[in-house]
Amino acid sequence: MVKAALRRLAYVVFVVWAAVTLSFIASNVLPSDPARMVAGPQARPEDVARIKKDLGLDRPATVRYGLFLSRLLHVSSLPDTDAAHKTCGTLGPLHVDLGKSYQQRRPVLTILGERLPRTLALAVVAVFLQVLFGVSAGAFAAKRRGSAADTATVTASLLGVSAPTFILGLFLQWLLAYRLNLLPLDGFGKTFADHATCIVLPALTLGLFGAAYYTRVVRDEMRAELLRDYVRTARAKGASELGVVRHALANVALPLVTLIALDLGGLVGGAIVTESLFRWPGLGSLSVTAILDRDGPLVQGCVIVTSAAIVVSNMVADGLYGILDPRTRRR
Amino acid sequence: MRSSRSADRSLSPLAGPTRGLFGALVLGAFLTLGCDASLAAPMPAAHDGEATPVSGGVLHLSSFADIRAFDPANISDGLVVELLELVFAGLVNYDDEGKVVPDLAESFRMSDDGRSYTFTLHQGIHFHSGEELTAADVKRSVERALHPDTPNPMSSFFSMIEGYKELQSKASEVLSGVRVQGKYLVSFHLTEPDATFLPLLAMHTLRPVCPNGGARYSDTWHACGAGPFMLPEKGWDRGREINLVRHPGYFRPGLPHLDGVSMTFFVNFMTEKYKLARGEIDILREFQQPDLVRFQSDPRWLPFGQYEADKQINGEMMNTEMPPFDNVELRRAVASAIDREHYRLLKATALRSATQPIPPAVPFHENDWDCQKYDVAAALDHMKKAGYPYDPATRTGGYPDPIPYTLYQQGLSSYTAQVLEQDLAKIGIRIQMRVVNYPTYLALIGRRKTTAFAPAGWNQDFPDPSDFTDTLFHSRAINDEDSSNYAFYASKTADDLMDRAKHELDPGRRATLYHDIQKQICDDAPWAFTHYYRFYDVHQPYVKNYRTHPVWTHDVKFSYLDRAGEGTRASLSRLGLAPAAILPRWP
Repeated sequence: MVKAALRRLAYVVFVVWAAVTLSFIASNVLPSDPARMVAGPQARPEDVARIKKDLGLDRPATVRYGLFLSRLLHVSSLPDTDAAHKTCGTLGPLHVDLGKSYQQRRPVLTILGERLPRTLALAVVAVFLQVLFGVSAGAFAAKRRGSAADTATVTASLLGVSAPTFILGLFLQWLLAYRLNLLPLDGFGKTFADHATCIVLPALTLGLFGAAYYTRVVRDEMRAELLRDYVRTARAKGASELGVVRHALANVALPLVTLIALDLGGLVGGAIVTESLFRWPGLGSLSVTAILDRDGPLVQGCVIVTSAAIVVSNMVADGLYGILDPRTRRR
Repeated sequence: MRSSRSADRSLSPLAGPTRGLFGALVLGAFLTLGCDASLAAPMPAAHDGEATPVSGGVLHLSSFADIRAFDPANISDGLVVELLELVFAGLVNYDDEGKVVPDLAESFRMSDDGRSYTFTLHQGIHFHSGEELTAADVKRSVERALHPDTPNPMSSFFSMIEGYKELQSKASEVLSGVRVQGKYLVSFHLTEPDATFLPLLAMHTLRPVCPNGGARYSDTWHACGAGPFMLPEKGWDRGREINLVRHPGYFRPGLPHLDGVSMTFFVNFMTEKYKLARGEIDILREFQQPDLVRFQSDPRWLPFGQYEADKQINGEMMNTEMPPFDNVELRRAVASAIDREHYRLLKATALRSATQPIPPAVPFHENDWDCQKYDVAAALDHMKKAGYPYDPATRTGGYPDPIPYTLYQQGLSSYTAQVLEQDLAKIGIRIQMRVVNYPTYLALIGRRKTTAFAPAGWNQDFPDPSDFTDTLFHSRAINDEDSSNYAFYASKTADDLMDRAKHELDPGRRATLYHDIQKQICDDAPWAFTHYYRFYDVHQPYVKNYRTHPVWTHDVKFSYLDRAGEGTRASLSRLGLAPAAILPRWP
């Protein structure tokens, strides 16, 4: 058990390290200058050179990479108020240091700490809506196969799949916020009530888009389940239709869990278009800005969170398989 | 078998081409609904014309961009300038016509040799933090901004101040060229006369900051100055919005009229239009092209729209160190072959044909002078002189190889490149487009012997012609990396003229010199100047005393809102601020 857990942990560390290293290499191979992006396109060479030195970009990439890795996780007895550790997050003597954003000149950990909860909130609400809409519609369509309702559901799901989030988002914004004035156009708000209303449009955009896939998956899986012997037996024994659907749904849960885990992991990395469209201040919009600005430390921070989220969500999904289907534990 | 076919059919009620067509229809319907063509009506003012100024209310602005820092010593984006203008006052500022006038200084005088400027401060000016502003604060703020540890992208602009080199090299911790002569008297001493000093001083970099800003820059400092508005605690929510409130101790009595100014960041263009319609913003400056045309053709909005000053020059850069543009005749051929009208028509609402390097809003631009112009016959003649004669009738001759042309994906350059390709084909020049992203483009264009041909542009840093001519065309601006002289153009004649113009303080003689400089540059053609870019904005009718500004874009410092039902309390409440939470900070 312990051995398996350690193997998993090593796997997580390897994947995150590989992702960060690749992004570090990519940002250093590209012929662009982060100091120029900080100074602005019109700064004079002498000012760019001074900023380059200030950011430590005058050192070779290998030295910077070594420094980054050695600082990423280190042990120190000094507090984070110490000058050499002011960009660190501390857990007792254990320090995590992602450095300072070139553009914002703040610790990357602080920035991620602000953004991650907002992205998590959006991801959870969006996935909840995906599951709610997708499973309901999929089960409904499967139960009425071949009927007009089935066709309508399939058509609606096709609509959802066909419309990219920026089109769907613009449409929902135009309809629900601008025309009907039911919701804020965009933003995050200041109070919890503000956050709750501001999250509706981005979550609905992501939720409807994702629900289309869920509908199709649940419909197809459910149809197959409803033709199985155990369903026929249950019906013969007088089980209600609701009971039959509940039994069938339990068996559809396995592929659904995979989808949910993948979606949740992906959304924690940030719903780039949707966050930007609705000014939801999460990791997606942050990642885009960081990449465009060649803000190396911030890009590395975003990559670590994104890759860790995907690996961890997959591990959670694996764990859930065992709970949902004990047969998989033996494998 | 039958049940299997049936199952397949029911899985895909819309299959093959039908599915594609259906998808396209859905997309079209969404696009049509999303792009609402109608414009909301302007919100009326309580009074026609400029009425007696009304105090109170918050002016709301927005932008698709963001600000990175909020400190006059660290200005690295274009948007923050209009916000800094509200919070930090300077010794001098620009008036509505772009002329340098005293602001915190009651008066100033230049020494006879043009090397010293002495400023007498108004007495009783208070910072947002309550302390009185003195000459010592001016010196401290200048040294803070120009210290080598400050990440100031504009430091080198002030290298003409005595002691700058010593401060930068850390040979000295003070700037000897700024001297406190009395509590309200401060002088600046230059190494030589410099016509750019006052225009640069009127910018934000050296503006006084509160004593709590200290003698050295800090990333965590909370912005505090002596301008008409101040930044309250938690007033700046990074990446989202900034809310400024009125400085009750502002030194000009009765001003500002507004209780606050708010700006929201990262708003997409479509949402900005909706926000204007819903009254969530009061001025709109960023448009999707069809919307701009709608605003300009709607008689309800037309009186409330205006163009901002042309402060940007754009052109086609030809690297004079690289073949084939090390041949001046070939450069002249390109400069003559480009029909500027073709460029203008790409975005007629924003572009104007360019004829010279200095844009129209900058001093010494000459309105009725075609320093470079479209002339195909002349272009063909230059091709012949260059050694590449071309016969348009038979389409024979011309430059034998395609010339690599490096462009980036944002903005207009992918469109102007197509116009360029067609115009140059008429004189036997072919280009080969290489599309890169913007950061890569920036790195490549400033690197020596790397980019032969590329679109280039320059925005005004400060309103002086030297910001264009010296930065883009002086040999001093050539560097192996990060060169701002993208064409790597070096001309002793042009250099001498630019040096003389920089140190010449007489406006008449400067005008003559800049005429000669432009003529020399146009003739040597390191760039083919193509277009000037200007922005348009609309404001709600109730925004009074609002105007575009030749330097600061918006001038909302002393604007007021003439809309019924919007009092101070309501405005602050919209900002989520209670007056009691803000005002006690100021004694």
